Amino acid sequence: MCSLVRLTLLLMVFSVGLSGCYRFASSEGGGQAAFSPPRTIAPADVALPAGYRIEAIAVDLTYPTAVTVDDRGQVYVVEGGYSYGEAWAEPRLLRIEPDGATTVIVAGDNPPWTGVVFHDGAFYLSEGGLLEGGRIVHLTMDGQVTPLVENIPTHGDHHTNAPAVGPDGKIYFGAGTTTNSGVVGIDNIRFGWVERFPDFHDVPARDIALAGRNHETTNPLTADPDDTAVTGAFLPFGTPSAPGQRIAGRLPANGAIMRVAAAGGKMELVAWGLRNPYGLAFSPDGQLFATENQFDVRGSRPIWGTGDLLWQIDWRQPGRWHGWPDFFAGQPLAEGDRFQAPGEPAPQFLLADHPETPPTPVTRFAVHASANGLDFPPNNAFGFEGHAFVAQFGDLAPAVGKVLAPVGYNVVTVDPASGVIVPFAANAGPTNGPASQLGGGGLERPVDVAFSPDGTALYIADFGVMTTSDQGPQPRAGTGVVWRVTREPGR
Amino acid sequence: MKLSHPTSLIVLLVAGAVLLAVGMAPGCGSARRGTPVAEPVRLAEADLIEGRQIFATHCYQCHPGGEAGLAPAINNKPLPGWLMRLQVRQGLGAMPAFPEHEINDDELDHLIAYLNHLQSLDPPPLE
Repeated sequence: MCSLVRLTLLLMVFSVGLSGCYRFASSEGGGQAAFSPPRTIAPADVALPAGYRIEAIAVDLTYPTAVTVDDRGQVYVVEGGYSYGEAWAEPRLLRIEPDGATTVIVAGDNPPWTGVVFHDGAFYLSEGGLLEGGRIVHLTMDGQVTPLVENIPTHGDHHTNAPAVGPDGKIYFGAGTTTNSGVVGIDNIRFGWVERFPDFHDVPARDIALAGRNHETTNPLTADPDDTAVTGAFLPFGTPSAPGQRIAGRLPANGAIMRVAAAGGKMELVAWGLRNPYGLAFSPDGQLFATENQFDVRGSRPIWGTGDLLWQIDWRQPGRWHGWPDFFAGQPLAEGDRFQAPGEPAPQFLLADHPETPPTPVTRFAVHASANGLDFPPNNAFGFEGHAFVAQFGDLAPAVGKVLAPVGYNVVTVDPASGVIVPFAANAGPTNGPASQLGGGGLERPVDVAFSPDGTALYIADFGVMTTSDQGPQPRAGTGVVWRVTREPGR
Repeated sequence: MKLSHPTSLIVLLVAGAVLLAVGMAPGCGSARRGTPVAEPVRLAEADLIEGRQIFATHCYQCHPGGEAGLAPAINNKPLPGWLMRLQVRQGLGAMPAFPEHEINDDELDHLIAYLNHLQSLDPPPLE
């Protein structure tokens, strides 16, 4: 009996010690480093599979978010005009000239501009909508702008995202949710948007009924330091919910993928229940794939251990619900303790009823990798035919959650048949991370990828340096790059 | 703490001791494996291919490519197979348990074979 007690005590010591190893370990994110400009550019510091070469074709960009190629092979880049960290600039669409200079196609407002695609002689561009609501606009080569969709509710944490053109000729786009996991809280106030839009909240695409769970926080929006706020899901900060309370769905929504005809007109829902459907791309055989940035460990309802996802979206039978805010990758958040952050309460369901059992994703990326823009090679000229190429921005630890080592900062391939993820372009050496942390002149934060129409070149939009701390991100203007990857001659 | 299925105190004690001594210690060399930073991971045997599939579904998101991320690296900590098997089944520290309805015994065999293969590969050269 005494030996059993000793064993039990020892087990408790070991168990507490092991769980404490994670709880008390410091975060080691890739942005948690000092940076002294200028950014160095050294293509040789980027590792690629044998037979490929990389070069920088445009440098000194400010917050580039997307790259596209027209039907003649001309490359364009979007400078977003905004970065997390409340850093503002002018959003622009630039043409990249052969000598690396850039020419402004159009400049505007309503940042962040998040994506662009060339189709049928014109651009379709997404305005993130932080200040004026998201828009998808048609843009001619001489700069004439015609909105196709306006007032997309993306004033919050996530924005209206990059468009893609479907086999049906329609323009598909995603809109990210207002919050991390359905409840406006202190984390959103730190983002900066709650003071601009105090009544803003998540907007579902279909009617939902709430479970009536509320979350109490301090209330930094009043002068009283002891003031508190009680907030329910899908409601403004400081507004509690009741069991069974109905929230009306509408379009445009956020947390959804939608589509509209290239000439404009009625919007249609493609999929919903998606936290931040960032990247959209159609494979050469006409299947729609989407990356989804998953939950963070922050705010009133922190969720732990959820890697970003790659979904295949059934655009021919639209309208499926994919699980946000109560499921991750088809798994319910409120069963067991798998999604409970150390030291935080276990997540509970926010919805009284779930629209359906969510589908299963193609694959799960690394937690906090920020799997963003994606594209497919149009043929086998580049190799990797049928594989998705995904730009991974890299972690924003510690504000979004802790990591024990840098995650992301690369471009990966995904085999949709198996879900196996393999790095394609990453900084060389024994450890992973952005060049600003590792030293050298390689990749910082890949945010988008695009193939040339002939399939011979892969272009990578690299957002540039963004360091991070407990106070949030510190982006560095003028450090963005567009890289080009091609096969070496004779391959 | 997610030790929700303690079955054998002695086995868990041994596991905990070994993990504290080896597993949670700083990595022994680089954990990076495969392209583009090191030699390609070439899998010919069906069990290794199956193991990679299991890894992609259940392990990759916390141990990307066997490197550290949300969780510690695996590739540079060559624990014995029985101990990896035990940790998968029981969970440990912040790592959840994966019961048989999520990873069955055959799949776990393939997973362990794949992890052993990754551990056997050369890391990228030190600079």
